[in-house]
Amino acid sequence: MSADINKFVIPIGPQHPALKEPANFEFWVDGEIVTGASVRLGYVHRGIEKGAEARTWVQNLYLMERICGICSHVHATAYTLGVEKLAGVQVSPRANAIRQIMGELERIHSHMLWLGVAAHEGGFDSLFMYSWRDRETVMDLLEKISGNKVHYSANLLGGVKFDITPELAAEIHKGLEFLDERNRFYLKVVNQDETFIGRTRGIGTMNAERANFLGAIGPTARASGIAHDIRVDAPYLNYSEFPIKVQTHTSGDLHGRFIVRINETFESIRVIREILDHMPPGELTVRMPRRIPAGEAVSRVEAPRGELLYFVASNGTDKPERVKVRTPSLCNWSTVLSLAIGLRLADMPMLLTGIDPCFSCNDRSVSVKRGTQDPSVWSWEKLRQYGIEYYR
Amino acid sequence: MASTIGALGAVEAVLEPLAVSFNRPQPERLDAVIRPDDLLTAVRTMVNESWGFLSAIIGLDHPAPAPVEGQPEVEGSIEVLYTFCKGAAIAILRTTLPYSQAVLPTISGLLPAAMLYEWELREMFGVEVIGLPVTGHLILADDWPDGVFPLRKAFVGFNKKEQSQ
Repeated sequence: MSADINKFVIPIGPQHPALKEPANFEFWVDGEIVTGASVRLGYVHRGIEKGAEARTWVQNLYLMERICGICSHVHATAYTLGVEKLAGVQVSPRANAIRQIMGELERIHSHMLWLGVAAHEGGFDSLFMYSWRDRETVMDLLEKISGNKVHYSANLLGGVKFDITPELAAEIHKGLEFLDERNRFYLKVVNQDETFIGRTRGIGTMNAERANFLGAIGPTARASGIAHDIRVDAPYLNYSEFPIKVQTHTSGDLHGRFIVRINETFESIRVIREILDHMPPGELTVRMPRRIPAGEAVSRVEAPRGELLYFVASNGTDKPERVKVRTPSLCNWSTVLSLAIGLRLADMPMLLTGIDPCFSCNDRSVSVKRGTQDPSVWSWEKLRQYGIEYYR
Repeated sequence: MASTIGALGAVEAVLEPLAVSFNRPQPERLDAVIRPDDLLTAVRTMVNESWGFLSAIIGLDHPAPAPVEGQPEVEGSIEVLYTFCKGAAIAILRTTLPYSQAVLPTISGLLPAAMLYEWELREMFGVEVIGLPVTGHLILADDWPDGVFPLRKAFVGFNKKEQSQ
């Protein structure tokens, strides 16, 4: 019971309130009905923005990629686009096409991961297991291209590391065929399963006006009818040559968010096929200067969860002056806190999951351990040396 | 691109009476320098004109330069960038606050989405946001010491600070 006798506070988290990531929510309830909500973030705060100021432009590429284990490529893409803009470097259409393919494969894996988690929160564990099993297909494709399932590390400053050969393209086509078929099945399940519809239809409804007012972005906003997608609004990479069609829904509820994300998966599959059939020519990399000219650049990309914004400032040295990362999950929290009011407490896990929150994305900037005696705290140099010795 | 240029022209026109200066660092971006006292009016103008959405609030620390003999000491400052996006167009309201007067009014009354950004700005840069309806920490640990702002350049980590002392 809080100090205020008129409200009963239910804490949810920090242990996995929605995804298996930490955040703390306090829901004030009147019986079963939520009357207020607050959020406490920061449990996986790692010091990345501050850390970026002490590392070179190249080292930061790997650091930024590690902000998120789900959408690592899109973070690296936003960062490289900003740095390349400052350096005045134009990468080849082929490198851009490969970045775009990786980004769309990443979106498919992210949306399928979310589908599984959301199904699990709704008590539908069969769908959770099916979608995660099938997601392995897209993870395997990413591994075949890059050698890695999670941090693909496809980007370089000035291009990409990996080419997509005709043999690889054939394998991607085959994988996409399977994913296309499976997602059609999931769309049918989401639209027809009575229990699932009972947990999603009419829950957390937000019209376009409210979504705009609360600052919603990405699939959360698009499920409320807002046709806003950076890939169309401000095309980057090769999105002008290989455009996508923005997927929207008008219901504005949790059900709409399922429909939008599954339809976006189809759209990603379509655009990857199109790029593979018309792969542009060009070198994989162009030369980048070690020192980046002084200036500021804003780069925006469409991450699986919505618009990801990077602000990169250079002071003319080999290290950035500032790297600011505004992730989409942060924008969508306002919608959860507002929509929770009036709903039942039992709807909270589904509502939280509905925005596809990514706590790694929220919690970036700083984590500092005090004291030097703790053996579990290693310096950067010690960790580096350990890595070198380990792989020697 | 025509619509982007049109959108930037429109925002330049409405901010003209408030802006100290304008700058176009990227073809799709307009920076307007605003006095802290005019910030709320400028944001209200953006909201009334329905010009895009608030995409981010970015803090930049500009520490005081090393003192030069015979010259008066210059104070460090925090620059705050209110970044609005409309389609491909980006409009940034930039306002600069000296360390000794690092105070801004909240804009969360106009744009609820700003609350988390302002909270982050307060924690990371030590900008006092008047009227922000939240207290305590958003991101930093509960036992984080008062008056230590990690994204200020002066902060180099506790260990290093202790070592340098």
